[in-house]
Amino acid sequence: MKLQIQGVGKEFAVRGADRPFTALDDVNLDVRAGEFLTLVGPSGCGKSTLLDLLAGLAVPSRGSILLDGTLVEGPGLDRGVVFQQYALFPWRTALSNVEFGLEAKAVPKRERAERARTYLELVGLSGFEERYPHELSGGMRQRVAIARSLAFDPDVLLMDEPFAALDAQTRESLQEELLRIWQRTGKTVVFITHGIDEAVYLGQRVAVMTSRPGRIKRVLDIDFDSREGDLRADARFGEYRHEVWTLLRDEVAAASEVVPVG
Amino acid sequence: MASVSVTTSQVLAREALQEASRTAGTAPGLLTRLLRGTARAAVAVGRRTAAIVALAAIWEVLPRLDVVDPTFLPPLSQVLVAWWDLLLSGELLDHTQASLVRSLAGCALAIVAAIPLGLLIGWYRPVADFLNPLLELFRNTAALAILPVFVLILGLGETSKVSIILYACAWPILLNTIAAVRGVDPLLVKSARSMGLRPFRLFQKVILPAAVPTIFTGIRLAGAYSILVLVAAEMVGAKAGLGYLINYAQFNFRVPEMYAGILTISVLGLLLNLLLVRLERRFSTWRVSR
Repeated sequence: MKLQIQGVGKEFAVRGADRPFTALDDVNLDVRAGEFLTLVGPSGCGKSTLLDLLAGLAVPSRGSILLDGTLVEGPGLDRGVVFQQYALFPWRTALSNVEFGLEAKAVPKRERAERARTYLELVGLSGFEERYPHELSGGMRQRVAIARSLAFDPDVLLMDEPFAALDAQTRESLQEELLRIWQRTGKTVVFITHGIDEAVYLGQRVAVMTSRPGRIKRVLDIDFDSREGDLRADARFGEYRHEVWTLLRDEVAAASEVVPVG
Repeated sequence: MASVSVTTSQVLAREALQEASRTAGTAPGLLTRLLRGTARAAVAVGRRTAAIVALAAIWEVLPRLDVVDPTFLPPLSQVLVAWWDLLLSGELLDHTQASLVRSLAGCALAIVAAIPLGLLIGWYRPVADFLNPLLELFRNTAALAILPVFVLILGLGETSKVSIILYACAWPILLNTIAAVRGVDPLLVKSARSMGLRPFRLFQKVILPAAVPTIFTGIRLAGAYSILVLVAAEMVGAKAGLGYLINYAQFNFRVPEMYAGILTISVLGLLLNLLLVRLERRFSTWRVSR
């Protein structure tokens, strides 16, 4: 097991209320080494809170998170986070943004530029090294962010709805590319989304969360022989999709939200 | 007069164009294009300076027509003559130099003092909570209202003059620095923290570079303040400086020289601002289209 989430709960103190707000309650989930796991849930179910806990940016109120059997006690370069809003440093060029994590890892200067170039190439951005984020499109920015997280060679890639802000076409091509990168690098990926299609398309397993307080409702195995070609046209894709949709429907109703169709 | 000058330049340009195309034959060559470009530039300059030219014209004409008393507002040409005389005698240079030294010294000291303090206040909540009431009180107290206090405590010499400029300049820098640190996108901080950056490195690698453009806006404002306060500072117990020149000239009823001093200080302020705007742009190229 790469990541073990054991009985994790998270509460926030709310001003003016005598009882704390429970975002997550007794979350149990194991993530296997090298697998692509997608986490889908209605909005406000605490997906992002769980990701913060995995990243070590927040501390769970209860339970524990183990990475390779060791307790996660803070952020570290063994995990790379990709945010929905890219979070690129606007005063740094694409290359320099990718180098950021390498600086934090104290990689020698010459090696940094070389490695950053390699990873920009991996995400298909050769020739854009000297561009600033504001000179890049949304899709390109997210590519830079992915390259940045891959460059310092983390074991686990944590992605928080990374493609949610992109248009449909860009999203699909980035999904394909992410699968390609995952296959090439062999990273463990935890991918949070509220899109059912995206969850089924990307994940080897899909973990469905309940509405607030968030819990893991079911973990579905998505079993395709190969991910080549038009996976979405596969009959079983529709079945998986429907299964996740049914699981989510009750939760969405509970959260009194509009059905998310992704 | 403004429109006159514009049309004259246009006519001249057109004539030049015709001349050029005649010599170059039928094909409009490089020369024609060059001239057309020059003509366009001339029109642009004309448009931008029209208001100033108009003001100069009014300043020249009204006293001459005795609409205003020329004793109190001499025509611009007389002021310019007085300015020229001051320049030739070397007096103007001395005054300008004295003023510039004070302004720059005050401003530089303000930068050195206010940026670190602002970073500290912006970064450490407790420091901010402790100092905030004091900041609110002082920033609402006009610098000029405290000038007598400075003179009383620091005397009539350079110290009190530079100090009052320092005081006036420190506020925009301090407040902008605080706002800059507070205004850093929390997502960037989160992203850097996720890569395991400790507070000091986080400050150095994220907070500081993100804050630079806003801090620089503060410095630009401070540059303007340093010239604005200068005049007042030099009105008390100074022996040189543009503020002194203006005050002294008024006192001795050398009105054209007084206006010459005022003009010089305006242009000085303008140039300083222009310089700082340039610098600001250099430091915040990445902030385009945000």
